[in-house]
Amino acid sequence: MSAVVVESSMLQFEDCSARPRCGCKGPGAESWLRTQGYRVPAAPNSVVLDDDGVLVARLGSSEFLIEAVNGAAAGAGSVRVRNSRAQLNERAQPRDVYAVARQDSVKRLSGSGLSALLRQICSVDFAPLLAAGYEGGIGGDEQPVLLTSMTGVGVLAWPRRLASGPAVTLWCEPSYAHYFWNTLREVSIGSVR
Amino acid sequence: MSRLPPIAGELIDRRHAIEFSFEGRPCSGFRGDTISSALAASGVKVFGRSFKYHRPRGLLSVANHDVNAMVQVHEAQRNVPNVRADVVPVQPGWDVRAVNTRGSLSSDRLAVLNHLSPFLPVGFYYKAFYGKRWFPRWERMFRTLTGLGSVDLQAPRLVTPKRYDFCDVLVIGGGPAGLAAALAAAERGAAVLLVDENQALGGSGLYARGGEAHSAEQTIAMIERLRAHGRIRVMTEAYAAGYYADHWVPLVTRDCMVKVRARSVVIAQGAWEQPAVFRGNDLPGVMLASAAQRLLYRHAVVTARRVAVLTANAHGYAAALDALGHGVGIAAVLDLRASLPGGADAAAAELMRRGVTLQFGVEPIEASAHGGSHISRLDYSYAAGANGSALGTGRKRAQLALDGLWMSVGFAPANALLHQARAQVVWSEALGQFVPHELPAGLYACGKVNGVFGFAERLADGADAGSCAALGLSARGVPPRAPPPPAAECPSHPYPIFAHPKGKEFVDFDEDLQIRDLENACQEGFDSSELLKRFSTIGMGPSQGKHSHMNALRILARVRGQPLEQLGTTTARPMFYPVPLSHLAGRGFTPERRTPLDAEHAARGAVWMPAGNWRRPEYYAVPGRSREQAIAEEVVAVRTRVGLIDVGTLGKIEVHGPDAAEFLDRVYAGRFSNLKVGMTRYALMLDESGVIIDDGVVGRLGPESFYLTTTTGNSATLFREFGRLVTWWGLSLGLVNLTGHFGAFNLAGPAARVVLRQHTALDLSEAAFPYLALRETEVAGARCRILRVGFVGELGYEIHCEAAQAARVWRALSSAGERYALRPFGVEAQRLLRLEKGHVIVGQDTDGLTNALEIDADWALKMDKPFFVGQRSLRILERLPRRAQLVGFALRADAPRIPKECHLVLDKTEIAGRVTSVGLSPTLGRCIGLALVTPKVAAARRLRIRIDGAEVIDAEIVEPPFYDPAGERQRVVDPG
Repeated sequence: MSAVVVESSMLQFEDCSARPRCGCKGPGAESWLRTQGYRVPAAPNSVVLDDDGVLVARLGSSEFLIEAVNGAAAGAGSVRVRNSRAQLNERAQPRDVYAVARQDSVKRLSGSGLSALLRQICSVDFAPLLAAGYEGGIGGDEQPVLLTSMTGVGVLAWPRRLASGPAVTLWCEPSYAHYFWNTLREVSIGSVR
Repeated sequence: MSRLPPIAGELIDRRHAIEFSFEGRPCSGFRGDTISSALAASGVKVFGRSFKYHRPRGLLSVANHDVNAMVQVHEAQRNVPNVRADVVPVQPGWDVRAVNTRGSLSSDRLAVLNHLSPFLPVGFYYKAFYGKRWFPRWERMFRTLTGLGSVDLQAPRLVTPKRYDFCDVLVIGGGPAGLAAALAAAERGAAVLLVDENQALGGSGLYARGGEAHSAEQTIAMIERLRAHGRIRVMTEAYAAGYYADHWVPLVTRDCMVKVRARSVVIAQGAWEQPAVFRGNDLPGVMLASAAQRLLYRHAVVTARRVAVLTANAHGYAAALDALGHGVGIAAVLDLRASLPGGADAAAAELMRRGVTLQFGVEPIEASAHGGSHISRLDYSYAAGANGSALGTGRKRAQLALDGLWMSVGFAPANALLHQARAQVVWSEALGQFVPHELPAGLYACGKVNGVFGFAERLADGADAGSCAALGLSARGVPPRAPPPPAAECPSHPYPIFAHPKGKEFVDFDEDLQIRDLENACQEGFDSSELLKRFSTIGMGPSQGKHSHMNALRILARVRGQPLEQLGTTTARPMFYPVPLSHLAGRGFTPERRTPLDAEHAARGAVWMPAGNWRRPEYYAVPGRSREQAIAEEVVAVRTRVGLIDVGTLGKIEVHGPDAAEFLDRVYAGRFSNLKVGMTRYALMLDESGVIIDDGVVGRLGPESFYLTTTTGNSATLFREFGRLVTWWGLSLGLVNLTGHFGAFNLAGPAARVVLRQHTALDLSEAAFPYLALRETEVAGARCRILRVGFVGELGYEIHCEAAQAARVWRALSSAGERYALRPFGVEAQRLLRLEKGHVIVGQDTDGLTNALEIDADWALKMDKPFFVGQRSLRILERLPRRAQLVGFALRADAPRIPKECHLVLDKTEIAGRVTSVGLSPTLGRCIGLALVTPKVAAARRLRIRIDGAEVIDAEIVEPPFYDPAGERQRVVDPG
């Protein structure tokens, strides 16, 4: 489902763009997600992972991102997300729900150089978020997710602490992908533009 | 030899010698030396020339705010001006030179200016420019004479990292108070960041020893505790350059600027020792006592064998003891005060015991350098005899032979950051300085900047500030600060200023300002602190008033006969010290967006151009064809066959909800509530003043769903504005920004329908899919939205789909179009095609003042609507004469020269407008264009355009469109 690209011994970029993903918005979005069997975070700017490894991120009062972050492409989580996406794209959409195209470029960054990189590209203090006891496991509590700006690009950031160490997953618009990931690589290796 | 044997706590590493040169002369130092300390150790006395009079200057503060010690450094690849020698560590091989000389430091041709000072009164610079006649001459002269250092125009661009940092408590200043604050805050559980501008922590705790070791030992012990503390991070050689809201503090390090967000901040930046003002106080060898102590204890350097200490506080006595302890002879301790406060203290007693003469009521008359440039004699008067004995009647004049004069007559608090943080300060008569009175939440001050000068008292004050800063972060709230202890003495003399009939008593060393300059400025009416600063330029040099501001206020107070506290201070703006431009700029982040078809364009030889923050193909290079030929061929392909252009950069927004139509009716000038599902309509957007800000197409997907496009450059801005308006108006709808998630391209030309038909089952007939219709269907297996629009003036289909599908659909259509010689076309061809149709590009054919009436867009305005943004202004504008009018123009086919965009349109000799678009139309075979001109010019038949070389050409005004005015090209039959 994803490809790990080791940029250096200090920092790893794992491409997660191909994960099944969809987005929805609207006054009926939350109840529709619940009818679809998803756990829905109560607070904006938070995520939950359900037992199938499906992430539901609440990006505002009525906007959601749904993504299969764990499990195989044919796994139950991936199938559910694909089905939801198909429903959203039907001409007869669920009432008060509309699809939000999510063609994001997504990577998970991890490694000992992660904190140093984040401090060069973003004004948010990720240290307490990466140090907190979010295990990133299935069925866990709500975790924070941030809509912020990095290197001048609006991104969605999901910081957490995995068994292997801190990691942050970043979503950006595909039109920024070339610039954004290259800039992160350049910053991470100390080169300059 | 200026270098002393090793001293406990010295910063130099004597195992590593450093060889460098100064003004071509070989010099040496050790690792840990600054340029200044290494030069002093090498016996250099004169470091530079003053800015205005080119007087020889030596070390003054050794504290990063001397114009005297600014140098030019040449190293292997760099030539760096205005390096601050007091704080920059010297490096092997450096070629160091003074910055303000003509000829050399020792033989400066402009030293003659020192004798012309009577002809250069205060305000001379401003007054010189009063008259036009002499303006050029003065300008040339000032440009020749002024400026410090030389800029290397070949210097490589330095791109520094950009960094953020975070902490609970930021402690600024690593002297005794700052160390105590950091330790106390950390002990209370806070994550502490301690910053100090010096290469090592300790501050005056390590160099102001007073001949004994106790304070230094205690300081060193604190530093060791601090280094071992897990919650304290330390940054040295870093200074806080400013203070911004919410405890944002930029820290300037040697390599970069670090923007720190702290939860609370402790200011422990101490105080700047201030010079006495008397004739000759700028001679090399006259320095602040703290400067001598810094050199002594940090670098084991002494610069004189026999010094006098001119003092008005206990620090001068301590400095005298430090001198004595390291073999420097004390000619006398000259106290400006009438006597020691409260009688002789321990330091004075010890000095007298060691045979040092103390004199009181001293008034310096003149420091002089007989036969040289370095101080050799001090003339002064005094009111009391040796060691305080009665003198009898009157004052007595005296003179001392010496090679150094140390001044310790007072301090100015380093409270610039407190001012920037909007702290309230009040004048303390007991301390002779401004002290904090009310501080913003989360901000604390301690140590000398807080008016606390004793060593033990500073430690207690720092610990209290640090504790409060840490405890204030908890939910329990901020505990009250302990009040500062009463001062044992006033550390600052109330008026250490002694005028001389011959002047040359310098108040500001940066700008060579003397007492009479300030007095004269006041007499000319510039008698407030802000006006005095601007007219005299005091405090506007490299030190930014750090050693001149207080004395200037004292002079101003005396001239005005007012108490100093009533005068107010000048504004302390960031940056605290000069910051290299490379640090300010940091690493440049300039996002560039790419469409999902970027690789397709690259493979076809796209020549890129920026469009907003996107990169787009300007045209596609063809071997053997020029740029112009390639663009013309692309135009011809669209007009005669079929072309394909990537328009994925357009803003793409969906509007859903019961109020969607109402919203669009309000934000656009047209009407969309009556738009049929499956149709599109041109949409013009205005601001409140009726000025055109954007245009695009709105299509209706369903009763409560719309899809709209915006111009490339405005997509992000408009999406934000839409969100704001929805909230403001309280409408029930949702917005979805698809700009980056969707690709889009326009298939245009007479063969567009037959090409598209090969990859879709949709009925494309004119009846089923008419002009301006919108359909959702599959194209080449991808779900697409197709808008039948005609920006380029041919049968056209604008196809939108998810980004991941875009390349597949593009390739399929390109392949299908091969039979019709399909050409991808770029932005330049599109501009020509739409120009032939007379279509306006917002932002190019309009400017920031162009309203809808001026481009004849009345047809896009529905003035009968109840409301739309800009409507009220348009109603007013309708009744007023037009400011401008957009017109079309054409040149003769054989016109030898054609105008460019932005060339001026003339009405006789006056500017009457500008060319907004112009191009050589391949279709029409002549130059056509649009121009925004005055109504008077628009009413004429011809335009006069001034082109390159000031040549004026004539153009015929032609009403657009230039091509297919009946719009018949939208209804072309399919080619066979």
